[in-house]
Amino acid sequence: MATLSKDQAHFLLLKIHSLTGIVPIGVFLVFHLAINSLRTVGPLQYQLSIDFINNLPFLFGIEVLFIYIPLLIHSLMGFYVVFSGKPNVLRYPYARNWLYTLQRLTGGVVFVFLVYHMGTTVVPKIMEGKTLFAAAPFLIDILNQEFQTWTGRIIYLVGIFSATFHFSNGLWAFCISWGIIIGQTAQRNAGVLFTLVGIVLTLLGFATVMEFSFHPIPVTPTVEG
Amino acid sequence: MDAKTIKLKIKRQDKPESKPYWQEFEVPYKPLSNVIACLMEIQRTPLTADGKQINPVTWDANCLEEVCGSCTMLINGKVRQSCTALVDQIKQPIVLEPMSKFPVVRDLQVDRSRIFKDLKKAKAWIPIDGTHDIGEGPVMSDSLRAKRYVLSECMTCGCCLEACPQYTKDNGFMGAAIFSQVRLFNLHPTGEMTQEERLETIMGKGGIADCGNAQACVESCPKNIPLTESIADMGRQTSWQLLKNLLLK
Ligand code: HEM
Ligand code: SF4
Ligand code: SF4
Ligand code: FES
Repeated sequence: MATLSKDQAHFLLLKIHSLTGIVPIGVFLVFHLAINSLRTVGPLQYQLSIDFINNLPFLFGIEVLFIYIPLLIHSLMGFYVVFSGKPNVLRYPYARNWLYTLQRLTGGVVFVFLVYHMGTTVVPKIMEGKTLFAAAPFLIDILNQEFQTWTGRIIYLVGIFSATFHFSNGLWAFCISWGIIIGQTAQRNAGVLFTLVGIVLTLLGFATVMEFSFHPIPVTPTVEG
Repeated sequence: MDAKTIKLKIKRQDKPESKPYWQEFEVPYKPLSNVIACLMEIQRTPLTADGKQINPVTWDANCLEEVCGSCTMLINGKVRQSCTALVDQIKQPIVLEPMSKFPVVRDLQVDRSRIFKDLKKAKAWIPIDGTHDIGEGPVMSDSLRAKRYVLSECMTCGCCLEACPQYTKDNGFMGAAIFSQVRLFNLHPTGEMTQEERLETIMGKGGIADCGNAQACVESCPKNIPLTESIADMGRQTSWQLLKNLLLK
């Protein structure tokens, strides 16, 4: 393969930005919210799901390769995209122009939220070397505490809503950018469909927050037997 | 004097580099006037609302029937053609400004040559000239003709670019009109033969991937050109082209 020209590299990077928003980051978001909502089923189910993840082979490698690196690429390119345009929604207040502006705003909010969220969960987990069955009680203890205050709850509600909005609106943008959906009617229908996706994901996330806030769970490590 | 008048507020600029300033005007009301008629009245009687003698306001116009695009400006904050802006249908004082994404030449006149440069860059034509007769091209179906006709109505007025949040004065983004023209010529049975050349031109900086899907373009196109369909279609064609470049070359 010949070397890329500057223009080709620019195009390829933007395509990668668009793609990473769906796979792997978007797929991760869906699974993350769905698995966490096991919290509403019961403490045991929830704890077992965290145990399962923390007992996966090559966990750290998977996280770096499929979450952290794509997320970093998507965020850095995302900020580049944000600063390449100049929102004008007050002058041209059309629905889609609002969504364009919110897509950029929520991207920024998600970024800040992720710094906080990872800073209070995975980072201490790794720093303190909590692996395998030691991870779940350690993390649940942290989450129990975070959801004791309204500040904590609101941070999560805002963070989750920003992420689900950004993802479901991003799904729509992805379908246009890659030419999966072309006609105007098809674009409108896809908008309705992705709104529903967004609502479902938001509800999943909010239900988990509520469960944690009002029913903190006792912290005991899972033992064999 | 209690005769009915039309009030206008106009953003003026004497030279490309000089500072803009505002002036207010009041012209006699005539039924069915458009904004151009008001500007012609100011040209005949170059007085501001408070009676100061000034150089007349300059503007561009040509067809006076919304087919040339040259009279495009910001009217009450939104971009549109001044020849079809009827005084009876808009709020007064009528605020007139030059388009903000193109360099001002003078008053309401702007230099839109960036659009033409980008059309040239995108090879928005069908090459048929050469050293020998290449014969007749393939036949076009009527449904394709109809589809292309809608796209061919673009008058390069620049409304879609002015309203686009991704199109700034100096970022080199090509914008919806250009992508739609690439689609127009790629849809032509003869133009299709050189479609790759055209696609490559919009697969760089300022090209299709820089579009942020705000869809302000389609809302502001006076010709109702389905610009967002064109953008999605170009998204599809360039995505395939990318795949071809990666796998077949
Ligand atoms: C962390 C900070 C993030 C920033 C700064 C950011 C920024 C952006 C921006 C500006 C766009 C608009 C691209 C366009 O419309 O052309 C975008 C698109 C997108 N983002 Fe993010 N994002 C971030 C995180 C995320 C996360 C966590 C997800 C996953 C849920 C995500 C999923 C998407 C998707 C699916 C798109 C649509 C891609 C497309 O337009 O084709 N982003 N992002
Ligand atoms: S696509 Fe519409 S708005 Fe854009 S330049 Fe052509 S006619 Fe004007
Ligand atoms: S869809 Fe939005 S970003 Fe793309 S050209 Fe139209 S107005 Fe500009
Ligand atoms: S003068 Fe031609 S469009 Fe207005």
